[in-house]
Amino acid sequence: MGNVLDAQGLVKAFAKVRAVDGVDLTLSAGERVALLGPNGAGKTTTLLMLLGAITPDAGSITLVGHRLPRGRSAAMGEVGFVAGYLPLPDRLRVSEALSIFAGFYGMGRKAGDAAVERGLARFEITHLADRMCMELSSGQRTLVGIVKAILHGPQLLVLDEPTASLDPDVAYRVRTGLLDVAANDGTALLVTSHNMAEVERLCERVVFLAAGRVVADGSPGEVADAFGHGDLEGVFLHLAGTVVAEDQLEDLGGLTDDEVPR
Amino acid sequence: MTSVASDRAPFSWLRVRTVVRRHGYVLFRSPHRWFDIAFWPVFDVLLWGSLGAFVAQENDVSRAATPYLLAGIMLFHVLFQSQIAVATGFMEETWTRNILNVMTTPLRESEYVVGLAAMGLLKLVAAMGTVSLTALVFYSFGLAEIGWGLVPVVGVLLLVGWCTAMLVIGLLLRYGQSAEILAWATTFTILSVSGVFNPVDSIPGVIQPIAKVLPTTYAFSAARQLLDGGPVPWADLGWATLGALVLAALSMFYVLRMLRLFRARGYVTRYS
Repeated sequence: MGNVLDAQGLVKAFAKVRAVDGVDLTLSAGERVALLGPNGAGKTTTLLMLLGAITPDAGSITLVGHRLPRGRSAAMGEVGFVAGYLPLPDRLRVSEALSIFAGFYGMGRKAGDAAVERGLARFEITHLADRMCMELSSGQRTLVGIVKAILHGPQLLVLDEPTASLDPDVAYRVRTGLLDVAANDGTALLVTSHNMAEVERLCERVVFLAAGRVVADGSPGEVADAFGHGDLEGVFLHLAGTVVAEDQLEDLGGLTDDEVPR
Repeated sequence: MTSVASDRAPFSWLRVRTVVRRHGYVLFRSPHRWFDIAFWPVFDVLLWGSLGAFVAQENDVSRAATPYLLAGIMLFHVLFQSQIAVATGFMEETWTRNILNVMTTPLRESEYVVGLAAMGLLKLVAAMGTVSLTALVFYSFGLAEIGWGLVPVVGVLLLVGWCTAMLVIGLLLRYGQSAEILAWATTFTILSVSGVFNPVDSIPGVIQPIAKVLPTTYAFSAARQLLDGGPVPWADLGWATLGALVLAALSMFYVLRMLRLFRARGYVTRYS
């Protein structure tokens, strides 16, 4: 299987702060990878560089066979992006907004509208088609955002905090929907999240960033073991500078395995 | 997939049409957006038309009669509408925090700008319909009185409007939403120093050098000469066209430079 993403030596500094400092990241076709790390680790900056929205100071990015920045437009025809914090244009109905994005992805009206209908049905949100985007709840917005990102059948789906501030039931729908897209469409996933239990459900590989550098890369179990913790939450707290014993995690509000909706 | 293609995606008219459709939805959903193309043009024509009628009543030989003021304000609306449609089109993406969504699609910057300009043309047609009808109904004046010479004048004003919009977008990319006021300020600055209604020599002396480097000054001057029934003022039209082309080159250079800076400094996070 080839790589859908091949980023080498990414560096980005803002003023005197090195937000990203020599990150290498590759994703195979169909692979589900989480990019993790505490606040300020460089996750979002890395994602935005991979999407061509921020220019790296150094390094190279090849996205679905297209070298950025020159091949950005061609690459984006094979990539979808969802961010939990990003709304769709508020004065448009959901079906209109999605139809517009289908057009940006190069789909004609008929093909675009059919893709919109399929996407809404797939996530069981057909009833939202005529709602104004500004009226959506955060959970509905995220589901519509995912539909937007898969309209064109991308090879890679990039998700920045897709379940942030969502209720557990909606987060569950988002997660199962993403797993369905990955399994049935062969779409690779690159996800950032602060919910470690969710990441363990969703991703087969995790890449931890700290201070702009990759400090761990492997399966969730491998990474947890390498840091001497039982799960990713322990690794996260370790990297965030709060090293705690495993038996203290529950007291800190971390979800136990049984509490995670499946 | 492992082989690397460095190809640039071809320009897509489908994506351009999609930009037009996106802003068409916004226009029809937002009654306040109709102020630019339905209300202000009417008020402007009434204000300047009435002023012209009053001055003409007071002084029969005054050049500042209704046709001059009406032609001036109507042509100013060509500049204003073409500029404001493109600038507010981009601002719409910032107001709705949609920039990152747009930037992560295959849409190219050139397609986006052409789409905004095309939408601007549609709004311009609507606005000019409004001003023309108002001027005709209330003052029996039509821009057609200027004749075919009007075509290059309108062309220059259209191009300058788009160029000014590019400068405003460049400023928005660089300085964020705090620069929004400039979308309106730039056009009204041009209004005050280009001799829209009056010859340049009636502008205060210290401002005249500024007026003389603006292509709009020559375009409005040409329109007045045509309205006087004179021959086509090729010299003025030539200077206006040359100035507009220079402005086009400068504005494209500036907006592309600001876009590079926008990406280099990660300013997209201001809108997400």
